[in-house]
Amino acid sequence: MRNRIGKRAASIAWPILVTALLLLAWEISVRTMGIRSIILPPPSAVFEAMAERHDLLLAHLWPSLYLTMLGFGLSVVGGIIVAVLITYSAIIRKGFYPVIVVSQVIPKISIAPLFIVWFGTGTMSSLLLAFLIAFFPMTINAAMGFESVDEDIHRMARTFMGSSWQIFWKIRMPNALPYIFAGMKISITLAIIGVIVSEFVASQEGIGYLIKLAGGLLDTPLMLAAIAWLSISGLALYAIIAGVESWAVYWQPPSEAVGSGGGG
Amino acid sequence: MRSAAALPAPHLAPRRGNSGPIVRIAALQKTFGDIEAIRHLSFEVADGEFLGVLGPSGCGKSTLLMMIAGLIGPSAGEIRIKDARVTGPRREVGVVFQSPVLLPWRTVLQNVLFPIELLKLPRSQYRRRAMDLLRMAKIDDFAAVLPRQLSGGMRQRVAICRALVHDPSILLMDEPFSALDAITRDEMAVELQRIWQVNRKTVIFVTHSIREAAFLSDRVVVMGRRPATVIDELAIDLPRPRAIAVTEDETFNRLVRHLRKAIEASHAQ
Repeated sequence: MRNRIGKRAASIAWPILVTALLLLAWEISVRTMGIRSIILPPPSAVFEAMAERHDLLLAHLWPSLYLTMLGFGLSVVGGIIVAVLITYSAIIRKGFYPVIVVSQVIPKISIAPLFIVWFGTGTMSSLLLAFLIAFFPMTINAAMGFESVDEDIHRMARTFMGSSWQIFWKIRMPNALPYIFAGMKISITLAIIGVIVSEFVASQEGIGYLIKLAGGLLDTPLMLAAIAWLSISGLALYAIIAGVESWAVYWQPPSEAVGSGGGG
Repeated sequence: MRSAAALPAPHLAPRRGNSGPIVRIAALQKTFGDIEAIRHLSFEVADGEFLGVLGPSGCGKSTLLMMIAGLIGPSAGEIRIKDARVTGPRREVGVVFQSPVLLPWRTVLQNVLFPIELLKLPRSQYRRRAMDLLRMAKIDDFAAVLPRQLSGGMRQRVAICRALVHDPSILLMDEPFSALDAITRDEMAVELQRIWQVNRKTVIFVTHSIREAAFLSDRVVVMGRRPATVIDELAIDLPRPRAIAVTEDETFNRLVRHLRKAIEASHAQ
């Protein structure tokens, strides 16, 4: 038990150490080589910008996060609903599913300007792009989860005269949960990308807008500070989903993949 | 046998000898496309009998069992359970599959109670019965544990309890021990015999192991290669309870030799 906790601590400690070393190397090389702050500010300047201008940063961060979560939430609900339709309707499975899959060759980011034409520069465009990007992995994963029920489990339920309703709620749904969470972890990062790209294209607020604005003003420390805040938020959202997953999918063995290389 | 006494009384009642066959299979045929899996198969199973269905792998034994379970329909002929024609899954049948097929997100007890939920029977009422069954199968200490923490043999014990929980009169077993190692397999055969002697269900036990069929059954029906049909039938008149040591006796080995010859003869054709 103690050994396991020790391994866990080591698995966290090493990446932190490496990150700290990289930041240190960055700081030293920027200072010794005399690189101008406009090109590449040292980490200390970025931290300073993050702390000193947090009012501005957070004011732009919240709308972006709000839209990300909304777009993500819609993609989760929509993805699961479509996955259920794919599972239970032959017409949708044979007709729509291939179309959904093939449509993925369209780089969805390229549609962003079109959304601006249709819905203006407001939040609607950002929300729709986030939803559109996040929707696909959600649907595919949930559909896989609903359909990957072992044939024997299905048979077993049928011998006990289980109805399709019971089979859905008592077998398909819990069976799909791990897949749904896998989809959610992909979708949340994609939703962020959707919102940021949309804000790049046309927007008056949001962290994407701020990054672009800071770039225009050659305020590189602010730009990097915005990127740092965005990354931290993305990490936090991902961690929340992973946390809920380990609680909801309690029957899966705890992942030993990290830190299992020690052998001792 | 405190555990046995804890089970509801009806299962301890002596069997009625002359109540006639509980399962009747008549002129059964099954074809999948061009492949004839079962041809003109007929036999009967007496109430309370332990029937072994023995045949080589892929001979259609499992297909037969799935048809008795009402999961697939016959191409011709019929199966009757208690004089009613089988057209779909029935309440009085419990099935144990080759693999335990437990739901990984449910504890052992929740898995055993799964049929009760599906059949919409009063859960609280059957909880005790489920615990009694687990005690009888000697896994009651693991009632609150998830299946992934159990060994293969223990999982199959859970599956047997699950098949019995709604008190079916017929238990269908599809090579239930084929995934287990030889030692566990012998143990499970002895355990199954004990459970059967307590519960007195009619059992149809499909297997490709001659030894297993001879050890467990009151009667063995031998099926030939595809298309499957009954090629031999043998009563096993060994006293019960049978210990695993019985498999070393000359009488037992004579029965095994007889069954092997029947199978070999069908291969020679």
